[in-house]
Amino acid sequence: MKAAVAPHLSATRPADNSRRYRNLLLGLLAGALLFPFFWTQYALTIGTEVLVAALFAIGLNILIGTTGLVSLGSSMFVGLGGYGVGVTAALMGLPLTVGVPLTLLVVAAVAGVSGFLCIRAKGVGFLLVTLALSQMAYGIATKTKSTGGSDGMTGIPRPDFGWLGLSIDDPRVFYAYALFVTLAVMLLVWRITTSPFGSVLVGIRENERRMAALGYNVDAYKIGAFTVSSVIAAISGIIQAQYTYFVNPESMSWQASGEGVLMVIIGGAGHLLGPLAGSGIYVLVKQALSGITEEYLLVFGIFFVLVVTFLRGGVLGVLSKTWEARK
Amino acid sequence: MQSLPLHVLNGIQLGCLLFILAVGLTVVFGLMDTLNLSHGAFYTIGAYMGYLTAHATGSFLLALVVGFVVPFVLGFITQRYLLYPLTLRGRSTHLDLALLTFGILFAVAGTVEMLFGSSFYSLAVPSYLSGTVDLFGVAYPVYRLFVIAFGSVLAFGLVWGLERTVLGSVIRGAVEHREMVAALGIDVRLLFAIVFGAGAGLAGIGGVIAAPILSVYSHMGMTVVVSTLVVVVVGGLGNVRGSLVGALIVGLADTLAQAYYSEAELFVSYALLFLVMVFRPQGLFGVTGRAI
Repeated sequence: MKAAVAPHLSATRPADNSRRYRNLLLGLLAGALLFPFFWTQYALTIGTEVLVAALFAIGLNILIGTTGLVSLGSSMFVGLGGYGVGVTAALMGLPLTVGVPLTLLVVAAVAGVSGFLCIRAKGVGFLLVTLALSQMAYGIATKTKSTGGSDGMTGIPRPDFGWLGLSIDDPRVFYAYALFVTLAVMLLVWRITTSPFGSVLVGIRENERRMAALGYNVDAYKIGAFTVSSVIAAISGIIQAQYTYFVNPESMSWQASGEGVLMVIIGGAGHLLGPLAGSGIYVLVKQALSGITEEYLLVFGIFFVLVVTFLRGGVLGVLSKTWEARK
Repeated sequence: MQSLPLHVLNGIQLGCLLFILAVGLTVVFGLMDTLNLSHGAFYTIGAYMGYLTAHATGSFLLALVVGFVVPFVLGFITQRYLLYPLTLRGRSTHLDLALLTFGILFAVAGTVEMLFGSSFYSLAVPSYLSGTVDLFGVAYPVYRLFVIAFGSVLAFGLVWGLERTVLGSVIRGAVEHREMVAALGIDVRLLFAIVFGAGAGLAGIGGVIAAPILSVYSHMGMTVVVSTLVVVVVGGLGNVRGSLVGALIVGLADTLAQAYYSEAELFVSYALLFLVMVFRPQGLFGVTGRAI
């Protein structure tokens, strides 16, 4: 299949622009860390929402940006993450220290198997098959009575930071927790995409046949990318569920998956900071517009059309082009 | 199992409705390699147009006509002035277009919600199609038989049209070799727009026909588009005959699941889509083995 992004925007690209990237990253980091001290409660809410969305987009970016596989069903794993914590904590009574690793293990196993099946389809087929899979999960979640059916589950526990003398119910502490997890995941993803494994994924995106001809087991790499992406989506789902104390089947809807794809594309598929930029812009625009209009769907749809039509390289795509032009 | 005939008839009726929707989607995919997720949007537009027309004039027939014409024009414009120019820019088109039409689907649902609110509207069955007939021991609504008849006539008409007329052979030719057909002096751009428009128009008619059975609401297109995708995939992308069989399979599976095992109601058709996509991506009846 053809890559979903323009060939010159590779994932491991920062070489020429590494200084600019580092400065941008440091600037963002400083901003993110100082954020809780200056901003209002409302801004903190938005900030946390951005981080949760960004985690999902970071995971999805490995699939869309790095490997070139466009999935329209990744929200399934966000939901699985949320339900995982819900089931292990609220139904089985396990502490989070057991429940979260267990959830991530189960998600990794489910993702491995579904990845194995999904990657048999190519291009638009992959989009369809992931959509079908997530809709199946959505159907199961809606019909399962023990997890509250279509109403979902409440009472998702947040981690306890009492030993640090902090209360997790303080929005600033929860923001810091989400920020810490996001940064850790970003670091991990940066390591993965710059590793030999990441280079193979980029190779698959650019020319799958050639990678196969070079002797790489293309399918195994794709399953690997699918699994990593799904586990990160599940982490996003866990934090989201903890943030709202709540999880319901809507977190697995194909609209939610579409939002993820949109954020990746807005930010610039394949760029490390792309998902962060994309989710930031998306959440802020959504918030800003929600004051003006109730028509969330309309905004979402038009946003999607405009971005796919005019901004295919994403914000960071435009940015790195400008940087290159200035050199 | 006294109600079995009823459920089977309902399944066939749903299948016929799905076929009316799927046929446009499958031909558009075969012809242009475009996975048109906005198909559901045209279904919604058709249904609302039909509703408005029927309310203003009281004529169901006129509602069907308007429900075809408006989506046809909109579909024509979408293909000619939005999708085709994007194809020419040589992007990784089929994915871009799938995402773009995904956006259109939501934008239309949002627009409809803005104009009409999120309440449910219903379209009355016209008097000449109301009432029931005794069929296999069940009193079956005439209107549902009309849907079955309409779908069947459409299916035969389309298969005949595509296989026995000049226009049909041009379309089939363009599915196989777009460049050759263009070289024969046929304006492929116009042909694509007309076929896309006709598919959208049929989706619109589907919306009008569905209106008295399922109600008219802003999200109706988003719900139906996935079922339609299942039909198209099961039948084999680009395969009209296949999508007829696929529509009947999906219609029956959905209806029977709903009747006898409601836990699986949401699950069955997606499972079907998943299994076919993974194990027989060319569709159950795909002969050409078209790679997607």
